[in-house]
Amino acid sequence: KVTEKSTDIPLPGVNVVIKGTTTGTSTDFDGEYQIEANSGDILVFSYVGYQSVEIPFTGGATLNVELAEDAAQLDEIVIIGYGTTTKKDATGSVEAITSEDFTKGNIVTAENLLNGRIAGVSINTSGAPGSGSQIRIRGGASINGSNDPLIIIDGLPISNDGVTGSRGVLASINPNDIDSFSVLKDASATAIYGSRASNGVIIIVTKKGKSTFSATYDTQYSFGEVTNTIDVFSGNEYRDLVRSQPINGTTIDESLLGGANTNWQDEIFRNTVSSQHNITMQGALFKVLPARFSFGLVNQEGALRTSEFERRNLSLALNPKFFDDHLKVSLNANLAFEDNRFADAGQIGAAMRYDPTKTVYDPNSPFGGFYQHRDGNQVANGTTNPVAQLLQRTNLGDANRVYGNLNFDYKFHFLPELRAVINLGYDKTEATGLDTRDRLQATTDQDILFKGERRNNSQKRTNELFDGYLNYKKDIDNIGLDLTAGYSYQKFTNEGVNGRNLTDPLSVDDFYTDPDVVLIGFFGRANVTLNDKYALTLTYRRDGTSRFSKDNQWGDFPAAAFAWTISDEDFMKESKVFSNLKLRLGYGITGQQSITEKDIFLNRYRSGRTDSQFQFDNEVIQSLIASEINPDLKWEETATIEMGIDYGLFDNKVSGSLNFFQKNSTDLLFTASVPDGTNFSNSIIQNIGELQIQGLEFSVNTDVINTDDWKVDFNFNATLLDREVKELALGQDVRTGGISGGTGNNIQIHREGEAPNSFYVFKQLYDTNGNPIEGAYADLNGDNVINDNDRYVKENPGANAIFGFQSNIIYKNFDFAFNLRANLGNYVYNNVRSSRAQYELLLDNAVLGNIPTSVLDTNFQRTSDVITSDVYVENASFLRMDNITLGYTFNDISKLLKSVRVWGGVQNVFTITNYSGLDPEVTDNDSDLTLTLGIDNVVYPRPRTVLVGANIKF
Amino acid sequence: CTDDLNITPNDDQTVLSEDLFEDEAAYKQVLAGIYANLALTGTDGAGSSNLKNIDAGTSQFGRVLLYTQTLAADQMIWSYENDPGTRELQRNIWTDQNPLLLGMFSRAHLSIALANNFLRETTDDKLNSRNVSESTRSEIVEYRAEARLMRAMAYYYLMDLFGKANFADETTPINAIPEVYERAQLFSFIESELLAIESDLVNPRQNQYGRADKAVGYMVLAKMYLNAEVYIGENRYSDCITQCEKIIAGGYALANNYLHNFMADNNTNSALNEIIFPIVSDGVTTQNFGPTTVMINGSVGSLEVNGAEVGVGAAGWGGALRVRKQFAQLFDGAFANDDRNTLISANRPIDIADISDKDTGYIIQKYSNATSTGGFGVDQTFVDTDFPLFRLADVYLMYAEAHLRGGGGSATTALGYLNALRTRANNPVALTSTDMTLDFILDERSRELHWEAHRRQDLIRYNRFTGGNYNWAWKGNGSSGIALPAHMAVYPIPSASLASNPNLTQNLGY
Repeated sequence: KVTEKSTDIPLPGVNVVIKGTTTGTSTDFDGEYQIEANSGDILVFSYVGYQSVEIPFTGGATLNVELAEDAAQLDEIVIIGYGTTTKKDATGSVEAITSEDFTKGNIVTAENLLNGRIAGVSINTSGAPGSGSQIRIRGGASINGSNDPLIIIDGLPISNDGVTGSRGVLASINPNDIDSFSVLKDASATAIYGSRASNGVIIIVTKKGKSTFSATYDTQYSFGEVTNTIDVFSGNEYRDLVRSQPINGTTIDESLLGGANTNWQDEIFRNTVSSQHNITMQGALFKVLPARFSFGLVNQEGALRTSEFERRNLSLALNPKFFDDHLKVSLNANLAFEDNRFADAGQIGAAMRYDPTKTVYDPNSPFGGFYQHRDGNQVANGTTNPVAQLLQRTNLGDANRVYGNLNFDYKFHFLPELRAVINLGYDKTEATGLDTRDRLQATTDQDILFKGERRNNSQKRTNELFDGYLNYKKDIDNIGLDLTAGYSYQKFTNEGVNGRNLTDPLSVDDFYTDPDVVLIGFFGRANVTLNDKYALTLTYRRDGTSRFSKDNQWGDFPAAAFAWTISDEDFMKESKVFSNLKLRLGYGITGQQSITEKDIFLNRYRSGRTDSQFQFDNEVIQSLIASEINPDLKWEETATIEMGIDYGLFDNKVSGSLNFFQKNSTDLLFTASVPDGTNFSNSIIQNIGELQIQGLEFSVNTDVINTDDWKVDFNFNATLLDREVKELALGQDVRTGGISGGTGNNIQIHREGEAPNSFYVFKQLYDTNGNPIEGAYADLNGDNVINDNDRYVKENPGANAIFGFQSNIIYKNFDFAFNLRANLGNYVYNNVRSSRAQYELLLDNAVLGNIPTSVLDTNFQRTSDVITSDVYVENASFLRMDNITLGYTFNDISKLLKSVRVWGGVQNVFTITNYSGLDPEVTDNDSDLTLTLGIDNVVYPRPRTVLVGANIKF
Repeated sequence: CTDDLNITPNDDQTVLSEDLFEDEAAYKQVLAGIYANLALTGTDGAGSSNLKNIDAGTSQFGRVLLYTQTLAADQMIWSYENDPGTRELQRNIWTDQNPLLLGMFSRAHLSIALANNFLRETTDDKLNSRNVSESTRSEIVEYRAEARLMRAMAYYYLMDLFGKANFADETTPINAIPEVYERAQLFSFIESELLAIESDLVNPRQNQYGRADKAVGYMVLAKMYLNAEVYIGENRYSDCITQCEKIIAGGYALANNYLHNFMADNNTNSALNEIIFPIVSDGVTTQNFGPTTVMINGSVGSLEVNGAEVGVGAAGWGGALRVRKQFAQLFDGAFANDDRNTLISANRPIDIADISDKDTGYIIQKYSNATSTGGFGVDQTFVDTDFPLFRLADVYLMYAEAHLRGGGGSATTALGYLNALRTRANNPVALTSTDMTLDFILDERSRELHWEAHRRQDLIRYNRFTGGNYNWAWKGNGSSGIALPAHMAVYPIPSASLASNPNLTQNLGY
């Protein structure tokens, strides 16, 4: 019997040959084999992906063999666009990470399996349960266009646009179903995806059906706690402060003070309990049809009260083969049911603001027994009770998603070197939402006061794909050929309704239907190798998009790459140090068309919504207003040049790569001014400007110790990034980075010669004691007037260097893993302090309001005097331990039960930073992460989570 | 199937121009779009905007007009100075980066673009090719005149505020780099346009409410002529008198009650006789953060919490708007009981030493979301009150001023007009001809027309805006006022607009 070494699973199809003869057999379904051999013969057991074993036959009826995986060999298959290649032949910058290497811990969404693992890839996830992430590969490639990478699941590129009622595009995917990620970083690897490839590509492959039976059950429970909140005054401190008035100029009516000591942040946050369960079964249906079935259940509580995330996943993979394996069919079908209750993250800000001398409840209150600042039954202007706002609102969102693909891979009978592949993909999400505000919820909006509000929303997105390509692969003497050519069609639709307020008879539904987005591509790739040492890849894609006018809708995206495996040259072959050394050079052009605007090239008019009409003679007329138009819009193009070295030392015990890249994006899709009076806006999206990103990536993976008892490995990666705006429309600055505190304030700027989103602030002046002088700024242009012309660029939100480090240590049945991440040189504008820590805010309109205790450091009085000061731009470099886990595996417990692994871990272990805010990694509470790059408004805190779990294999 | 790339809009709010005009009713709707640009900022609610780089609400035409003409002068203070642009505007320390100036410049030019578009879509060739019916064609003659009037009015405000504008007419292609007209060119263009369209416009008071008639054209001309010395250095006061007479001959009458002009039902009450052109606002159908919504919510006092009286939330916007001392003093003595005096001064010092202290300085209660019959507007934030951009009282005052400046007309008539305003305001003091001086008229204009977006223009005409002839609280960023340099009589061209049109040059001094 032949079994797999680490799992004891029987291996079918293992070749068993008597060495030096042609006599042989292969193992059957249960790994059993029979062979006649003489004593002294040597039996050779070989199986793809496993290390071959030679065993001298010494007689005896049975010979059981364990085969171990051949890591080096497994690594060789690399998934690339429309096909695979071997690691050796790969010419582009592609990094793969498989299920064995995934980050472990409280993994709820797929992208976090990758967090910190790959040089050049950064992932920033908010603390909200199941929330989406901002994923950046090599810093993106655009300013106004999308910087999100193209994500492809089993050949189906998915839309990066979110859906009402869902937490994010990857929120409905069960990480447990993912087999591998392949990250395509440089243009020579991504250009096969042409118009969508500029920000890199992440190819996700899900687990496939297998012939051997196995079943696993995974479960984990996690317990979360918010460990850090913004320091505001306690009730007693607040009373003392107010009674010490006038406070730096503010006088307050002390009679407004209450007697309570309420920590409102404690009131809105909670300790959470969450669970995950996954059941997976694999095996051959009807003995012939390899199949995999999984069921996953996630139940997660958010740290903010009432916030909840539940997801149920059903997934089925069937992988039959027909006609002597000439036709391989694979079907992946997935159903995901996501049930959310959203909590208004704005209440985190309200909790910092709310008067700490007031109680949470007030039996006399007409607002459901919650204390409110009020005048009888009217709510006084000012913040409303955050606990009431959370508990008296039920904002539900359900997203049901069906997605999957059907893939036919046919190897021609008459020409087995030629394959035809057809891939059909489908992805549909239907979401509904019901947002109910209690009748007794406090509001200054007289239209809903004591009526409440109830709104139904719904949305439907679809994504259909047809891909077909031919692949020809043949070795002719010392030349290897791998040729691919194909066609791709994809269509996205989106429609929905923002529902009316059901308690208001005047209210009306707002229906919307987006224009379809259609993408069509023709692609080809030639991969030629010579003597297994020199590899050349040429790629070409011609892409069409419905986003541009007929004249501009087609774009051409070529790429070329060359690789030279130096270690296979004669002069290196004997090297004891270098087991692998490969030099790569690549160049390619990729495109960008992912913009919000889908039909801006058309001559359109838009009629007003029911509340945006006009009146003639007191009668409503539905006015029609011409919409902004740009018929000349076209692709943004990114030219990438890459030089890389892949190395392996000491029999590949140490391996990794070093890459240098430069990306130049031209014709940036950029929303910029147009001359007033000749368009129907003052600013439209156009092709303007140039962005350059340069970077250096380094990674090293080592097996430090690899003995029977001890296995120690670590992975380290580092990325240096530099982003610079090279050119903007007519050289003009573009203001960006909206902040809170006033309406429409911007704190950032895009300026030629600077990084995008650089902070644009006034230079603070200090007194002789080193304390900032309120409202006193340097007159940088020397014109004796302090005005907007005196602002200057101070740093930017992008990290100069990003590091990831993780290690796995296995001792006998114990396993231990942790990972660390660090960012250096990333700056954050502390909008929490800039818009809150001023004494005038002790008055919240006519009532009292709390402010951060950091006001004691600055003694600032007025927000408007200081909000654009450079004191709020802080270095937010950090070192963070995301996860640490420890596990123990019990093997061979019984015939039925193969193994049980129990484990425990901590997520968000620690963060070391000088940043004064809550978290140096700023995310947005909404999904639109790009808008608040580096601006710390109020972040959903990332709780520290303790996890326990078990993995049971049958 | 590469034809799938040629998409068309799917949304029922969006129509392609080639499909739109199959329905002849569309012409009137597109005309309504030109008018709507004065009231709305976008097509999808009060928070939507077809302009960028400025907050949607603060890009509303009437709002930025109010900011540039009233907030920048001596009548008004905005408490929330961290709202971008407000601090610089009300303290007269603006730069070309000011978003409110961008809003004004871009919004007025959008009116021009929309009018040009309408004119392009209604040429005889286009109407012939679409076989438009005779009855629609006769209406389109009026529509085209109105579109040209709205375009001329937009150029008038740009001429007044910025001294120059991008010049585009219906022959200028979309996305072209336009040429630039200086003040004198704009003056003669507007004048020739208004004279040319006079016969095609509907007679005064005969058009639908909300649409412009001949009197609106006369009004723009009258204002241009009154200020012609500022714009082009010419004395055109007699032309001003002529235009004023034409308006008055149109059959307008003062509203029975001064405050009717500023109430939720000013589209139906006696103000209907007085208002020559409104910017329409409606709490249900035409929601906007325009001047009336801002002034009614904004002037609710921080201490008084008097929102319920004016038909909005009790605390309104918590004391966003107050008045400056020099304006408040215009209502001293004999004006204590004048209807135009809506000051609320109890428990409030008249001085505003600290702009963010919402308890200092008087507040007023001129505009209201209440109706003349004791009801209220339907919505408690978005008011029903239309903004009276032009009204008869202004014509009376212009007539008197132009007369005093040597434009002819009759002194008796002028005095009669001034006394009519007094009588209507229930002010017992009748004026005599010796009271009728230019200085008096400037003050009387402030009492009658305050917070109606006229003040900066009036002060410039009287040479009291720049320089040190008259320093009001916070002028030039000093709490008791500092002289302004002469170049501030026009605003700077917004930097974004400057950058996108190489033909534009910055105004001198900026």
